[in-house]
Amino acid sequence: MKNTAIKLLIAFSTAIILASCNSGPEPLYDLSDTSYPLRNIDSSRVYFPDDFEGEISVISFIFTHCPDVCPAITANMSNIQRGLKDTTDIQFIEISFDPQRDTPSVLKAYKKRYKLNDQFTFLTGQPETVDSLLKKMEIVAVKTFSDSLVQDSSNYNMRHSNTIYLMDKNGRIRAEYPASVIPPEHVIEDIQSLRNL
Amino acid sequence: MRLPDPITFILLVSCVLFLGCSSESKSEKSTNEVILGKVELANGWARPAAKGQTSSIYLVITNGTASRDTLLGASSPISDVVELHQSIQHDDGTISMEQAGNQVIAAGEKLNLEPGGYHLMLKNINRELTVGDSLSVTLNFARVGSKTITVLTKTQQN
Repeated sequence: MKNTAIKLLIAFSTAIILASCNSGPEPLYDLSDTSYPLRNIDSSRVYFPDDFEGEISVISFIFTHCPDVCPAITANMSNIQRGLKDTTDIQFIEISFDPQRDTPSVLKAYKKRYKLNDQFTFLTGQPETVDSLLKKMEIVAVKTFSDSLVQDSSNYNMRHSNTIYLMDKNGRIRAEYPASVIPPEHVIEDIQSLRNL
Repeated sequence: MRLPDPITFILLVSCVLFLGCSSESKSEKSTNEVILGKVELANGWARPAAKGQTSSIYLVITNGTASRDTLLGASSPISDVVELHQSIQHDDGTISMEQAGNQVIAAGEKLNLEPGGYHLMLKNINRELTVGDSLSVTLNFARVGSKTITVLTKTQQN
C-alpha cells in the first residue's frame, strides 16, 4: 500500500514537471486574444500578432527620429539575426511608437538605410491603435521637448522603453530584454529553448 | 602725499603680481600660452540618416596635453546645429536624451562618445547620409582651439 502511494506520488510529480516543460515559463503578456490592425512599409494591413502565428517573433520598439538608442536597438536585432544558425520561422518585428512621423514610407527608408532583409517587418498604424498595443505590452513612449515653452508639434524627442520581447508561436510574450545592450547570444539561447517546446 | 616705506611697497607689488597670475590661471586659454602635447580625435563614425533628419557622431577625444581642457561645442558643414547630447537611463528603465553642457577633460584623460552615452547630435542635416559617406566635424576646445575630424557613415555592428 505504502509502495503504491509512493509510486503514485512520483508519477504525479513527473507529470507536473513534464507539463511545465512543455509549456515553458508563464507568459509575460498574452496577446493571442486581441488583434491590432497595423500598417507595413508598403501600407498593407498587418494584423498583429495574428499574422505572425506559427512563428517565433523578436519584437522591438523604435522611432526613426531617434539619433542614438533606437539605431542601437535595430543594430542589436540585426546582431541576433546574424547570430542565429537557422533563421527558419523567425520574424524580426520593429514597431514604431511615433506613428505621427513614422509613416510606412519613412519606415521603408529606415529599413533600407540599415540594409535589413525581408525577415524584418516594420509596423506603424493609427495613433490610438498603436497606443492601445503599447499599453497592453507596457511599453512607455512619451514626447519630450527641449524647450518646455516651445512645444512644436513636430519637433520633439521621446522618452521611451528600451525593450526587446520574445513572442512564441501563439502570440504569447515569453521573455523581455534591455534592447540596446542585451548580448545577442542570450536571446538566441532563449529562441532555441522556445523552438524545443 | 606720503610714499609707503620700501617693505610695504614690495608687499603691495607682490600682491598685484600674485593676483594677476591667479586670474590668468582661472582662464583656460591665454594668447601666448605654450601647449605641450595635443588633443586627439579618433575612431569617429556617423549614423546614416535621411536629409532633414538627425544623425549622430561618435568618437574618442584624448586630452594628451599637460592641462585640462574643455569641449565647448562643435560644428559641421552638414548641419547648422551640432550639439553634445547624452542618453540617460532612468530608474523605470526608460531612456531619454538631453543636451550635455561643456565637458571638462582632465590632462591625460579621454572622453568617449559612444552609443547609449554621449554623442554629437547633428540636427536637420542638409544631405542624406548613407553607409560609406564621409563628413567632417569640428570640435572647439577652450585651450587648444578647433580640431577637425572626418568620419565615415556606417551602421553599428555591436
